[in-house]
Amino acid sequence: MIRDPHQQARELIACGGQGLTDSQQTGLRAHLDGCALCRDYAAAAEQLVRSLRSVPVAANLALVRTTQMRVRLHAQQLRQRQERLWLIWMSCVLVGLSAAITTPFLWRGFQWLGEWARVSSPVWQVGFMVFWISPALVASLLFLARGIHLSDTNGTSRG
Amino acid sequence: MNAAACYFVNGMESETSAIARGLRRRDPDVLDRLIEQYQHRLLRYLVYLTSNRELAEDMFQETWIRVLERGHQYDPKYEFSTWLFSIARHLTVDYLRKKKPASLDGLLDEEEGVSLDPPVLRPSALELVAQQEQAERISAALVGIAAEYREAIVLRFQEGLALEEIAAVTGAPLGTVKSRLYRGLNALLPRLKGAQA
Repeated sequence: MIRDPHQQARELIACGGQGLTDSQQTGLRAHLDGCALCRDYAAAAEQLVRSLRSVPVAANLALVRTTQMRVRLHAQQLRQRQERLWLIWMSCVLVGLSAAITTPFLWRGFQWLGEWARVSSPVWQVGFMVFWISPALVASLLFLARGIHLSDTNGTSRG
Repeated sequence: MNAAACYFVNGMESETSAIARGLRRRDPDVLDRLIEQYQHRLLRYLVYLTSNRELAEDMFQETWIRVLERGHQYDPKYEFSTWLFSIARHLTVDYLRKKKPASLDGLLDEEEGVSLDPPVLRPSALELVAQQEQAERISAALVGIAAEYREAIVLRFQEGLALEEIAAVTGAPLGTVKSRLYRGLNALLPRLKGAQA
């Protein structure tokens, strides 16, 4: 299919003279030399581009300052969140390590206590489990209570 | 590549690398500088994308918050402006989809009374009026054409982005970008001619 040379030339003009190969540029120049209509189109397009560039849409100082302030505040919040997360991770690692190290000793301690008190194995084993899991349970309850408190506070302040 | 071009490319790379490092560190000073550097270009793009100054200002702020959050994703191989415009575009399109799923032109109905607020000009009152009239004429012609054409025209001719960069910002193939420019120009020329007559 042979394309309309005028449309082809106008498509090249519409690209704003960018990304044209040498042959396209030569072809376009040759076409414009011989076609008054496309020359007018090119002139109108050039005038339009000049007009577009002259339109002054500018950000005002208040918008810029507000944005900078919001960005700084958000950056600070993100940093604090990251620090908290890092602390939580470190606590988890420390708790994991200490649990891995102390659990065998604790187990032996409970075994010795069970034998000393002459109670059956399941009794001192349940005692061990309760002792072992209670810090995690207490911490979970504290976190839960704090979470409920925070969501209540946020809900009240938004409402 | 000649020495000048090589120097230019290296200079650009070192600048984008410095931006990328600052963004990874979430350095507020780097962000302050970027906000000041790109304030007018970003707002102009958003104003024409949304056809609504107030919304454009909201999106302007949200864009910089997103830049802060996603700064580590910026690839210094590319121009910062391309990445910035693509973030602004995603945010705006998401917002407009949630608001009215039809298209970006959904806001055109609410266009009445919206001015593109040319800034305060220092020249004489007559020049001020003439410039304001010209700006209003162009703005009116721009908001009258389809949003995707308007976006391509603004990115190419106002922001001076290359065709490949426009393709990256809009996520459209290069051929589509070219066709949008052609159709946009064809839609815009008679409007401006009519307005000038």
